[in-house]
Amino acid sequence: MTAVLLLLRKDLRVLLRSPLLLGALVAYPIVIAVLVGLVAGYASSKPRVAFVDEDNLPRVASVAGHRFHLQTVIDDVAKQVTLVRLDPTEAARELADGKVVATITVPPGFLGDLETTVVTPKLILQTGSGGLAPRVTQQMQSLVYQLNLKLQAGYISANLEFVQLLLNGGKGHFLGRSFDVLGLARTQQELAAMPSSERVAAIEHFVQQARVGLAQTGSALRATANPIALKQAPAHGRTWLLSAQVQSYGIAVTVTFLALLLAAGATAAERDEGTIGRLRRGLVSFGELVWAKVALAGVVGLVLGLALVVVFGVVVEAGGVTGGEPWSRLPLLLAGVLLAAGAVGAAGALLGALAREARTASLLAVLVVLPVVFLGLVPRGAVSVAYWISLFLPFAHAVRLFGAALYDTSPWGTVGIESAWLLGIGAVFGALARLGARTLSA
Amino acid sequence: MTQPLLRALQVARRYGDVEALAPTDLELAPGETVALVGPNGAGKSTLLAILAGAIEASHGKVETHARVGWVPQRPAHYARLSARENLELFARLEGVRDPAGAATQMLERFALPTVARPSGELSVGNRQRLNVAIALLGEPRVLLLDEPTAALDPGQRRRVWEVADALRAEGGAVCFATQNLEEIEHAGRTIVLQDGRVVTLTVEEVFG
Repeated sequence: MTAVLLLLRKDLRVLLRSPLLLGALVAYPIVIAVLVGLVAGYASSKPRVAFVDEDNLPRVASVAGHRFHLQTVIDDVAKQVTLVRLDPTEAARELADGKVVATITVPPGFLGDLETTVVTPKLILQTGSGGLAPRVTQQMQSLVYQLNLKLQAGYISANLEFVQLLLNGGKGHFLGRSFDVLGLARTQQELAAMPSSERVAAIEHFVQQARVGLAQTGSALRATANPIALKQAPAHGRTWLLSAQVQSYGIAVTVTFLALLLAAGATAAERDEGTIGRLRRGLVSFGELVWAKVALAGVVGLVLGLALVVVFGVVVEAGGVTGGEPWSRLPLLLAGVLLAAGAVGAAGALLGALAREARTASLLAVLVVLPVVFLGLVPRGAVSVAYWISLFLPFAHAVRLFGAALYDTSPWGTVGIESAWLLGIGAVFGALARLGARTLSA
Repeated sequence: MTQPLLRALQVARRYGDVEALAPTDLELAPGETVALVGPNGAGKSTLLAILAGAIEASHGKVETHARVGWVPQRPAHYARLSARENLELFARLEGVRDPAGAATQMLERFALPTVARPSGELSVGNRQRLNVAIALLGEPRVLLLDEPTAALDPGQRRRVWEVADALRAEGGAVCFATQNLEEIEHAGRTIVLQDGRVVTLTVEEVFG
């Protein structure tokens, strides 16, 4: 154990005396994490959509006797996309330039068609060729669906008013004309006052059936208007914002890159400096040598991981982002970072032992780290081979562990499983590195 | 008969198909200095590394009955650490009771720079002296030197031999590899190696 600590202290001292290497080791993964964040952020950002109102929509419109707050609907849309009011020419130009990803046009006569309830009014969506266009199309389809639901509710209410008029009687209005309706209830009363006869009894029976039948109209209309309703179940964890994914991936990328490169370089350096011969003369066993490199990866990964977590936490707090507990889960997350860095460090030690030269080891680590990261990004259903390979590499487990530690309401199940995976992977790589270290002194 | 401080029994080393060292026996008795002589690739460094335990023998075994110090041909220390830091680190690894004191003693004994300068920036001679100093940290009774004076000036060479002679005088043993025929005079016994084998040729015959 003493030998491990002595080598660890030596390696940390050597690292601190290599400012260029230290700077690159710190900067490179942060740059990668920022790029991942930017890409992910772009994917989640509100697309800019031009809103061309050729019908001069009022803030409030009356449809089927109901008032609709059109501005509220537009505000709802603006939660999904950034709506920019433009005239048709500007909108076309910005769409062509890619400054907006789509234009949504309210054509002249739209409101009139809506109010008559005779013609189906149409909104015109035109999308560009950017990667976000399909998402905008989906959002607009969703918007029209939501809009139709609101209008449908209005139409059903309007129809039900006529049903109520038929049931109870009273004064009705249609296409600007007023009229009186007797109503089934009063008809039944009138029939009851008439002399009994077979014909009157038959009419009374019909009126009774009609009243019962019409009383069910509201439920039937609503049910047939929306045969299937979509109800969103509450999420199992805290709000899974994209920032959570960015945070997990950012830390995992940083730790993987740093730990792999550092452990590989430090292991191979023992041969480069000729010290492996001295060490293995009973001073340090191969196991202790590997442990020292694993510890180096763990300690440095922990320090940099902590820095990243603090930065992310501050950003989350400052941005008022809901979801996640950046501070209270810090110890759990850092334990995960240490474990992940150690597992990756064991893989790095193996690389270093196989490469036998620090330069080759560093190059190999850089070449290996990107495929490892990208394999971990492949979803399970996309490419099953990639998923299975990533299962035996530390990156994907680290991402899941960090995500659970930060954002799951009950993280222990995932944390336990992923920790077990990381321990197992680390142990296998460590054992292989111990075997490989023999070649260093050959 | 006095028990040897170190004994190698049929030690050999292969690298794949290449035989770097054929099965070789060697004993180092107290008070003895042995020279390993031979051209490049003769197997001298391999034999010394096996005796030191720095590499594993493919065959045979080494019995040691005393602490062994090893000076590899190429200085083996951490270039980013200063001479003092290297000495202290290896002293701790050797289990020396007072690592700082031992480091100070070695710095003085070998006139090494005490400034906190990375040892990789030291002169070749200073690095070689540091190499020898590290080997002596554990107070070994057997000293294995692999061409220890190759990069040293005459004064520094003399200092190295003084160290070796002192160790031998105290009942220790020294085994050194060299291609410098003048250095053979420091040895009581000379072993000639060629193509990985001990040969019965004379030094003059080997070097032509």
